[in-house]
Amino acid sequence: MYRHVFALQQVARRTITSSARRERNRVPEKQKLFQEDNGLPVHLKGGATDALLYRATMGLTVFGTGYVLYELWKASFPQKKD
Amino acid sequence: MAHQAHPYHMVDPSPWPLTGAVAALLMTSGLAIWFHFHSTILMLLGTVLLVLTICQWWRDVVREGTFQGHHTPPAQKGLRYGMILFITSEVLFFAGFFWAFYHSSLAPTPELGGFWPPAGITPLDPFEVPLLNTAVLLASGVTVTWAHHSIMEGDRKQAIHSLTLTILLGGYFTFLQALEYYEAPFTIADGVYGATFFVATGFHGLHVIIGSTFLAVCLHRQIRHHFTSTHHFGFEAAAWYWHFVDVVWLFLYISIYWWGS
Repeated sequence: MYRHVFALQQVARRTITSSARRERNRVPEKQKLFQEDNGLPVHLKGGATDALLYRATMGLTVFGTGYVLYELWKASFPQKKD
Repeated sequence: MAHQAHPYHMVDPSPWPLTGAVAALLMTSGLAIWFHFHSTILMLLGTVLLVLTICQWWRDVVREGTFQGHHTPPAQKGLRYGMILFITSEVLFFAGFFWAFYHSSLAPTPELGGFWPPAGITPLDPFEVPLLNTAVLLASGVTVTWAHHSIMEGDRKQAIHSLTLTILLGGYFTFLQALEYYEAPFTIADGVYGATFFVATGFHGLHVIIGSTFLAVCLHRQIRHHFTSTHHFGFEAAAWYWHFVDVVWLFLYISIYWWGS
């Protein structure tokens, strides 16, 4: 089993470094995108995926707040054991 | 368009402090609900929210620094202070667990037999896997320093190789430690020995995983040309954290594994 783990490590290393060599420097494009004067805050400035992730996160936040208040309210009243 | 007349970073309004705070609320309340009512849904929801917050918050920090140029030298100085203060707080966190260990082991009570390790406990041999783990982490300290010098010298290929090696060594440590946990002849429930051993080494292991993740993010950023030879603070912060994790292990090894056996 340990041979497999070590082999996997070697494959992972070679895969990472060989694909790394082909990586073009795209930082200037990113700099242009995030410095565009469109009034968007940084957490939404990357595009549509940002908005989707934000809405999902905020949705969970709002739901979670309500749910925790409900659970804590429920936990405050002793349940009769029958 | 108005420009700032100072070198500091006035951040855009962000939702992540709020989502992070709610995540903490859900995780802690969820823990209590799990203990009392056996339901894990709240805790799981909190954890998901925490991961989402972490990813998006730090994604934004990378955008602000690397893509928007907000990390001027004075701003970077603030980030350095921040990381140092955070690591200091973590040192104090571990100090508590070392205090607990020494409190119980320097004056073993009659219930333990008056000696340490206590009666009935077979400690792990410090010269087997624990010694290998020490070598693994010390080696990873060398490779992360190699990575730093490679970045400073602009040697992209060596930086990627040495950083990858560091992460693999971290993974190897975690793997070996998981095996040790599985094979250990004692558990966390085995009195104060088990409690101090698994809480101290357990939190250390968690920090190894966190540190390895931080280094993996740095590897991803190095591959994508985010770091320059003169500006790579994200990597330096990860390297500082990694050295801290290594030093904690050395203290654990000397105190709990070696002296404590």
